Amino acid sequence: MIRTSYALNKILTAVARQHVMKERLTDDDLTGHDLSEEERAALKAGDITGLYHLGANPYLIRRVFRSRFSI
Amino acid sequence: MAEIVAALLTSHAPLITGRPEVSRPEQRDRLYGGFHELRRRLAAARPDLIVMFVNDHIQNFPYSNMPAFCIGLAAAYDAPSAGAARFMRIAPRKVQGAPEWGAALLERGLAAGFDFAYSYEIESWDELSVPLHFLLPEGLVPVMPVYTNCAAPPLPTPRRCHEVGAFVGAFARSRPATERIAFLATGGISHWVGTPETGRINPDFDRRVLDHVVRADIEPLIRLTHAEIERDGGNGGQEIRNWIALLGAVPGWKGEVLAYEPVPEWITGCATVWVHS
Repeated sequence: MIRTSYALNKILTAVARQHVMKERLTDDDLTGHDLSEEERAALKAGDITGLYHLGANPYLIRRVFRSRFSI
Repeated sequence: MAEIVAALLTSHAPLITGRPEVSRPEQRDRLYGGFHELRRRLAAARPDLIVMFVNDHIQNFPYSNMPAFCIGLAAAYDAPSAGAARFMRIAPRKVQGAPEWGAALLERGLAAGFDFAYSYEIESWDELSVPLHFLLPEGLVPVMPVYTNCAAPPLPTPRRCHEVGAFVGAFARSRPATERIAFLATGGISHWVGTPETGRINPDFDRRVLDHVVRADIEPLIRLTHAEIERDGGNGGQEIRNWIALLGAVPGWKGEVLAYEPVPEWITGCATVWVHS
């Protein structure tokens, strides 16, 4: 079973729908979202591998942090 | 009884059209050639409806409400939308839907135990617009998409996808004899996208899938588990559910692989397949 974090996918969906790419999320982006400390840290660092292992959907990771991918 | 006039399987990926220049020319030429041959054959079959087996990439269906199978009842689809058009380098356009056909499928499904979700507004991405860019350049044939969850696990099993496809196929054949229906499934084959292995392709898996398709040997595909597909085909490989559904709609039909190229620059094992009786 693949790990899923609803909190991560909820915020990534919200950001993806703004149609802007991010290097990292800011405290402003995170306001109002109920995230664990690990999740907050990964989002603020733009840690695409960490986010994957924490249960973020890979399509959403790529949508938001496209510039972090080498390909 | 309506006639099934064509069945096609293709990959979809935004970079196929969005970044043609990064691929190797010989690979690009072979793959585009496969699309062009499919277009020629599809046009010759003169369909008046294309039923598409496709999947969302979380641009529509949110984690607050995730359908396993969803029938598109939109009057028209952005293929692509203005935003996606820039990225895929395809001119934005509308492709006509077939909401009455979809509603009839929906009601028949509910009566038969196939509890489809439905949607009157779908933002399409590469799953519709990239293959239709090649296959339906004039955009004159309406499309009726069936969306299957291939991107937000847990996913419907390949076996269930095959059953859904078989139901859609039987429904299509039950339509009036004047209808000429084509089936088009898009997605796959192997690709890892958005994961730590982004860019990986597994040609061995792709050739295995294609070999089963060519021989109409559906059972090994139906038996694939989510974990096996994830391991051998990547998260993008889960999209072969769309192919499996189409193969369910045309039982016994065999694939003819017009092109297969593992294109790392496009992050996808890309194929174009004509399926025939």
